[in-house]
Amino acid sequence: MSESQNSRFPFYGPQGRLVLVDSALEAVSRGATTIGIKTPNFAMIASQIKPTHPLMEPSEKIFPIDFHIGATGAGYIGDILQLIDTLRLESQKHRLTYETPIDVDSLAKHLSSFLHNFTSYAVRPQAASMIIVGEDQTGVQLYQVDPSGTFFRGSGFAIGQASDAALEVLTREYNKDMQLDQAIELGRKVIEKALGEKPIVETGIIEPGKAFRKIRTENA
Amino acid sequence: MTTIVGIKTKDGVVLGSDRRASKGFFIGSKIVQKIAKIDDTLAVAIAGQLSDAEYIIKLAKAERRLMELRRGFPLTIKEATRLIANIAYSGLRNYQPYYVELLVAGVDREGAHVFAADMSGAITEEDFASSGSGSPIAYGVLESLYNKEVTNSQASEIASRAVSAAMERDPGSGNGINILAIPNLQKEVVA
Repeated sequence: MSESQNSRFPFYGPQGRLVLVDSALEAVSRGATTIGIKTPNFAMIASQIKPTHPLMEPSEKIFPIDFHIGATGAGYIGDILQLIDTLRLESQKHRLTYETPIDVDSLAKHLSSFLHNFTSYAVRPQAASMIIVGEDQTGVQLYQVDPSGTFFRGSGFAIGQASDAALEVLTREYNKDMQLDQAIELGRKVIEKALGEKPIVETGIIEPGKAFRKIRTENA
Repeated sequence: MTTIVGIKTKDGVVLGSDRRASKGFFIGSKIVQKIAKIDDTLAVAIAGQLSDAEYIIKLAKAERRLMELRRGFPLTIKEATRLIANIAYSGLRNYQPYYVELLVAGVDREGAHVFAADMSGAITEEDFASSGSGSPIAYGVLESLYNKEVTNSQASEIASRAVSAAMERDPGSGNGINILAIPNLQKEVVA
């Protein structure tokens, strides 16, 4: 490889991977353990709140996006907040343009194309994976969107620190007939097992016809 | 100029129009199609500047298809009307108003809807509505013949009577009638 090729801006690495996106994903995997669970009757998101020092109020991790949608993320909190604002803006834009609440699919696709832009130019891809829950004309929805712009729809996701272990527990214990309180308990358990310690968890819930709402479970 | 009417019925919506295009005191065309079908469930009746209306409808048609492809299910009638009204309002705000009055009518999962929209960007939902220079006359007929229980075929007759009454006395309207009825097929499946 010549000198000029070596000093080129590193989009693709030698294996054909996007180096900057991989770095962003690495940053995400060091973020707070965060999960999403969906059943036909509800969906919930839960995120670990990393303990800081006693005099500091822990930061918010579950974000209402619109009446019927909520989101959370793992990664750099600054990036997460920017993406949350993008989501809120897009859902209000939809209300202006069509006078109706946005559907979750459109919102996830918007976030995906927003993030994808950062993979095409010499800028820093956003170090945040996001989980979006909501309810729309097509029912209860759960999405995960990654820094690459990839998005997934499904019934259970885990991102952030120890997400592999969390997803393993979640996959094993998931049951589409479970009740909301069981899911909230499962969310806490999944994060606890993945981390190997009792976490502070913030939870967000969406049920059909009801507003997105948050609950916090302290070191229970 | 023009007379257009829209009627919401028990089993869908009906749109009616005359066929005259005026160029001042001259009849520019006697066979104008003032009812534009956007797809099988949505249609728009046009009063005003034809070129402006055609442009708005083309834009709305494209946006509607795009939205349906992106999110996987179509815009409701209200969403489509708000979209059209926003285009109209953007013209007003730029001091280049789209010189139009539109009746947007169709069926969606919530049932049948008739909306009236104009260049101000305002929309109102109506049981029946009329626009254009012949509308005061058409409204007289609609007010006396309409009831909430009409069917599409009865409403087609009412629309036709309303437009022909307007054509008798309004010099801006004439040269025959077009009627479009959109049945609410989803409702039939449920019932």
